[in-house]
Amino acid sequence: MSTTPGTGRAIEERVRAALTARAELVRPEDLRPLAPVVDLRSRWQSPWVLLASAAVVLLVLGVVLQRTGGRERSDDVAPRPDTPRVELPADVGRDWKAADQSTPARLDLDGDGTPERVEFLAEPTKDFDGRIRLQTILSTTGDDAYGIAELGTTIGTTALQPIDADSDGDEELVLWYDDVTAVGGGGYPLVFDLREGLLVRALVEDPELLVRGDVPVPGAGTEHYDMVRIHHYWVEEGRLLSSRSVNAYAAGNMTLLRPETIVVDTWEWTLGQDGVLTPSDAGCLRLGLEAQAPCGANEVDEVPYVSPVATGTIGIGEEAEFTEGYRFTVGLEAFADPSVVVEGSDGRVLTYGLEVGDPRVSTVQPMSVFHDGASLLVTSAADPTYLQVLVQDGDELRALRPVGEVDLENDGDVRTWLTQNGALVTVVAGEGDTWQAWQWMWVSRAEMAALPTGTVCFDDVDDPSTARSC
Amino acid sequence: MEPSVDITELYAAHRLVLVRLAVLLVDDVASAEDVVQDAFAALARRPDAVKDPSKALAYLRVSVVNGARSALRRRRTARAYAPPHDLSPPSPEDSAVLAEEHREVIAALRALAPRQREVLVLRYWSDLSESEIARTLDIGPGTVKSTASRALVALEKAMQSTSGKEER
Repeated sequence: MSTTPGTGRAIEERVRAALTARAELVRPEDLRPLAPVVDLRSRWQSPWVLLASAAVVLLVLGVVLQRTGGRERSDDVAPRPDTPRVELPADVGRDWKAADQSTPARLDLDGDGTPERVEFLAEPTKDFDGRIRLQTILSTTGDDAYGIAELGTTIGTTALQPIDADSDGDEELVLWYDDVTAVGGGGYPLVFDLREGLLVRALVEDPELLVRGDVPVPGAGTEHYDMVRIHHYWVEEGRLLSSRSVNAYAAGNMTLLRPETIVVDTWEWTLGQDGVLTPSDAGCLRLGLEAQAPCGANEVDEVPYVSPVATGTIGIGEEAEFTEGYRFTVGLEAFADPSVVVEGSDGRVLTYGLEVGDPRVSTVQPMSVFHDGASLLVTSAADPTYLQVLVQDGDELRALRPVGEVDLENDGDVRTWLTQNGALVTVVAGEGDTWQAWQWMWVSRAEMAALPTGTVCFDDVDDPSTARSC
Repeated sequence: MEPSVDITELYAAHRLVLVRLAVLLVDDVASAEDVVQDAFAALARRPDAVKDPSKALAYLRVSVVNGARSALRRRRTARAYAPPHDLSPPSPEDSAVLAEEHREVIAALRALAPRQREVLVLRYWSDLSESEIARTLDIGPGTVKSTASRALVALEKAMQSTSGKEER
């Protein structure tokens, strides 16, 4: 990863030294006393929350309509059984203190052109997981207005940019709930609108479309992976938008196998008089890791990562050195039967006997399979169908057994190769000229399984660099 | 069912190194400890998320990086609404004891985009390979390489800009 020799190397060394120095300022004695990690109680189990929830239920006053006539018949105002109902916030927490590391929001809640300052007061709980009282004084009337939010934590409450989802000229407050348990992030936004002098949380018509994170597709997973769709939401020029990937991707072993650029469907959320956020189709986006653009015609995901192919190997009597991660050298010896011999930089020597003629070891590690120690792909010049993945297990090398939906083969309709970035790829012939691409991962101490990465076509399957979208 | 990993043992073994990682991403020790605590708490809630103890550190590292990013995101959003006098970046008290040349680098690091900073920290402090960084950040190996390269250029520019200001 060096940049250029000379100045590049110098800056790298300087960064390394500065990071080490900064990190080492944190000494063991600086840390808070060691406390046992205990399972956090769900916030729904908190007696405060249960009491508050009960209070909210008692205070449900029906649909809050932004009608100004004031002469509606009671049966017009009363909620119908199957219509969504917004809940008025309970007037609790007047004495709560400003939430830790929080910053008041400034937005024009009442539409008079003067922004209100919304304070966030935290319900005191041991685990900082209580509710937040949203509190402000309306610039138009000088009256207090308040709301209640549950964000999972009372620390660091801030708002996203305000929106005007009902296009009425005033602004709605957007907070968000973070799901800290979700690897890769998860959560959803909460929109608060000023209604009847209260900050009322909007309901969401299709809540599954207004989330962020990797959401499993029901019934599509296997023992070794889930199939997930990638969801996002964001605020853009006063509008609340969300997206969902058109395709689902395999997620397992803490890895999400997605192309860098994916195609997503998007929705814009509008707030109705009934207090419900409703999605409307906002088109298709091509979403990269750092950029997005409207879809072109027939836009599809980027081709799964299947090339360039790693072609370098060593044979009997040769050695190769690996310097990324666990540092080691590997050699193929043949005193009697051929053996792989790994010599680690920590002094360990690991040997594994091979039962194949003219073995070869790739000079690239199959790091998609295993990267917490030595890993090797063994092939044979005498038998092109032979494939074996060896991984370090303490002081020994172990051959991983392929399990799952795909066989580890390299013949005919099943082709397998290693890419230069260490992905062990298998493609299986499908309908027409399509191939289903898979990537191998370590799934247990002695097993590896292939996870699907997408459909790909080749101009020439013998040359994986000719991969293209189908 | 027995948990697959011993959380208490992991906590004792890896807490310090994870707090150090987090402090490089969020600047102050208190936030770093919170991020790490959250990571362990999340693992405690889902002990079966990691079936193999040898993968626990990698799992926790992902969790810490995500938690740090979330903390920074909250802090950044907070700044957008903060009055001008609140705009100063968080300044850890103990940075004062860092040597001048290190302090300059750490200050410049704070000016980088979160992903650039994460890549540099994982590469030059955690000593992860490109593949491991790609897995940790859920990005492609090519992106790791280009992000690191751009980050070093941005870092140098930020340091030159700082020293230029000081000279003036």
